[in-house]
Amino acid sequence: MRNKNKGKDFCMFALPGMFCFFAVVIIPFVYGVYLTLTDWNGVAKVKNFIGLENFKGVMKDGQFWTSLGLTFKYVILVVLLVNVIAFLLAYLLTRGIKGQNFFRAGFFTPNLIGGIVLGYIWQFVFSRVFVNVGEATGWKLFGVSWLSDPTKAFVALVAVSVWQLSGYMILIYVAGFMGLSEDVMEAASIDGASGWVKMKSIIMPLMMSSVTICLFLTLSRAFMVYDVNLSLTAGAPYGTTEMAAMHVYEKAFTSRQFGVGQAEAFILFIIVACISGIQVYLTKKKEVEA
Amino acid sequence: MKKSAGAKGIAVILAAAMAATMLTGCRFGFASDPDDPNEEVKEVPIDTSIDTFVYDSSLQGTKITLLNSKAEIQVALEKMSQAFEEKSGVHVEVMPVTDGDSPYTKVVSMYNSGTPPTMAILDTTDVIALAEEKAADLTGEDWNAEAEEYLTEVNGKIYSFPLCIEGRGIIYNKAVIEEALGREFDPESIRSLDEFEELLETLKEAGIEKPVSLAKEDWSLGAHHLQYIYETYDGTSEGAQGIIDEIKNGKLKLDTYGRLGEFLDMFDVLKAYNVAKGDPLGADYDEMAIDLADGKTAFWFNGNWAWPNLAEAGAEEEDDYGFLPYFLNNDTDDFANQKIQASPSKQVMVDGQMSSEKEQAAAKEFLNWIVFSEIGQQMLVKTCNVIPPFINNPYEPADPLSRDIYEKVQSGGTFNASAIVPNDHWAVLLSAMQKYLAERSDREELTESIIEYWAEQK
Repeated sequence: MRNKNKGKDFCMFALPGMFCFFAVVIIPFVYGVYLTLTDWNGVAKVKNFIGLENFKGVMKDGQFWTSLGLTFKYVILVVLLVNVIAFLLAYLLTRGIKGQNFFRAGFFTPNLIGGIVLGYIWQFVFSRVFVNVGEATGWKLFGVSWLSDPTKAFVALVAVSVWQLSGYMILIYVAGFMGLSEDVMEAASIDGASGWVKMKSIIMPLMMSSVTICLFLTLSRAFMVYDVNLSLTAGAPYGTTEMAAMHVYEKAFTSRQFGVGQAEAFILFIIVACISGIQVYLTKKKEVEA
Repeated sequence: MKKSAGAKGIAVILAAAMAATMLTGCRFGFASDPDDPNEEVKEVPIDTSIDTFVYDSSLQGTKITLLNSKAEIQVALEKMSQAFEEKSGVHVEVMPVTDGDSPYTKVVSMYNSGTPPTMAILDTTDVIALAEEKAADLTGEDWNAEAEEYLTEVNGKIYSFPLCIEGRGIIYNKAVIEEALGREFDPESIRSLDEFEELLETLKEAGIEKPVSLAKEDWSLGAHHLQYIYETYDGTSEGAQGIIDEIKNGKLKLDTYGRLGEFLDMFDVLKAYNVAKGDPLGADYDEMAIDLADGKTAFWFNGNWAWPNLAEAGAEEEDDYGFLPYFLNNDTDDFANQKIQASPSKQVMVDGQMSSEKEQAAAKEFLNWIVFSEIGQQMLVKTCNVIPPFINNPYEPADPLSRDIYEKVQSGGTFNASAIVPNDHWAVLLSAMQKYLAERSDREELTESIIEYWAEQK
């Protein structure tokens, strides 16, 4: 009787969700993995099984590994900067300073603007506004568009991503700070903990659950960056800012090597899954209950 | 109270974000640069009183779709489909390729989801990639005879309808040049690279410091510039194909291929007089149109699709704009120094795989209607504002760029060669071209990149 009910409950509540999840995530994913083993070009009627040929193609695709290296550099910078900035701002914005709600909304705004639009706005800023400022003031830093120099274009990409992502993370950290128990804080103060000690020994451990979420979100988002990359630099100048996700797209759709592109996407997935898995495991271990 | 202030704040922010979204027109370049599809175009009256086209009444009520990858004629195509429906009873749904999608990706994904468009406007390379697998055979259609020179054959069969001719070269602003020179300027008088360079030098002395605009965009650098090396082999598509095959199979060493060196000679001249010489990769496309219209520059390497940009920048239809050839050397008898490249770049493919006989027949009728009905002829030229490849079309395009190409086509001042290169040619070699443009690489490195690219294509 009980079992029967359970089955009914499962069907009622979990099945629709499971169905959607399978239809749009699991099945395409498995099918995608299958495609990496064929020579399908996206159009042909027949798909020939070619084993690991596509993965050999990935090994030979030097540009993929270069863009993957660049993506790692980008991820490290973005994850660190976003989390440090978001954490500090969230800390400031929960101390009851004047107009903190306004600031919270302000910092969150960039996140409301889609990546494509954001990229265009900043493209305008970097190649028009900065250049005009440079012309007016004679500052060398702004003399030419940032987007035409490989290093500066990369810096621009990181800066825009940080600007966009921080707002979201601030929101999560703010929630974390608001959830800190007053009792614990008070007890810590009475016990003589203040400033740095309080931060390190009381706040940080209690905030670890927020850190886990934020790190996970920034990691996966930064690894999969595409929209800002496309609209801000599109890989320019001369292909030096092409991130992994963009390269995968180009490989599959512009070079029309579906199999190789799909295989690269799969490799990228494995890397991201492993890294975020390890990160969640490590930070989860540090989480404590108040 | 506080809450409502917060809500108000959010409302304001949302409104601002939406406004920003609307103000920032997205622009993705594929083949020809699409302009804002929603832009209001000056209404040209179409005379619908005469129509001798014979409609097949059995097709009435058929619904077909047209995938449009030429964003700047989206509105015009919708008007055309409306006019066609009124007469024939066939409904043509015009679907735009959304920003960010490449036409090929879009059409392939539509095929894979089982709902391909009945007709698709695609680049020639895409048509060739899909033709034998998906397209309906259009060999022997009535319009074949009207566009003989501009048909694309795949293994002896015709699978696509040439929608328009597009040409490219060095756009000049005649008024600006004449004002700087203080005398009449005859574009025909420039017939060699030296003469062109001399003209640039004279303009420089006359006060136009850097008279040339060069786009850094992928389609411009990676395709329109670079593909001259194939297309000027002998000025035909077959010749271009031949030379590409020879490069591909290693028979021809690129470093000894004359056209490459000549192309770089011309590119070097353009580079030296580039208005954005200080920061060539920071050059802004919209600014180039403004510069040319305002007379800050006198030349812009582009094609007749640039007219909407120029018009937006203040150019009038009465103004004198035209094209100079992409000069390659000092041999005044070389066709490359006399003619400009013009070929049908957008083609309509009819689906032959999933569409019913009736739908295919309706699509074919629509194509014939464009060519043979008085209304279709007018609308192709006046509403869509394109250069028709059909010799029976008596109408002339109105804007100076299209007009110049139209006249050159009529008088034999163009060569019809389009190089069919692998689809990632422009994207991959763009990097090499940009590097060369920014003077971060030399001829050897650029040549090496092109050789390397072709070596991978075997």
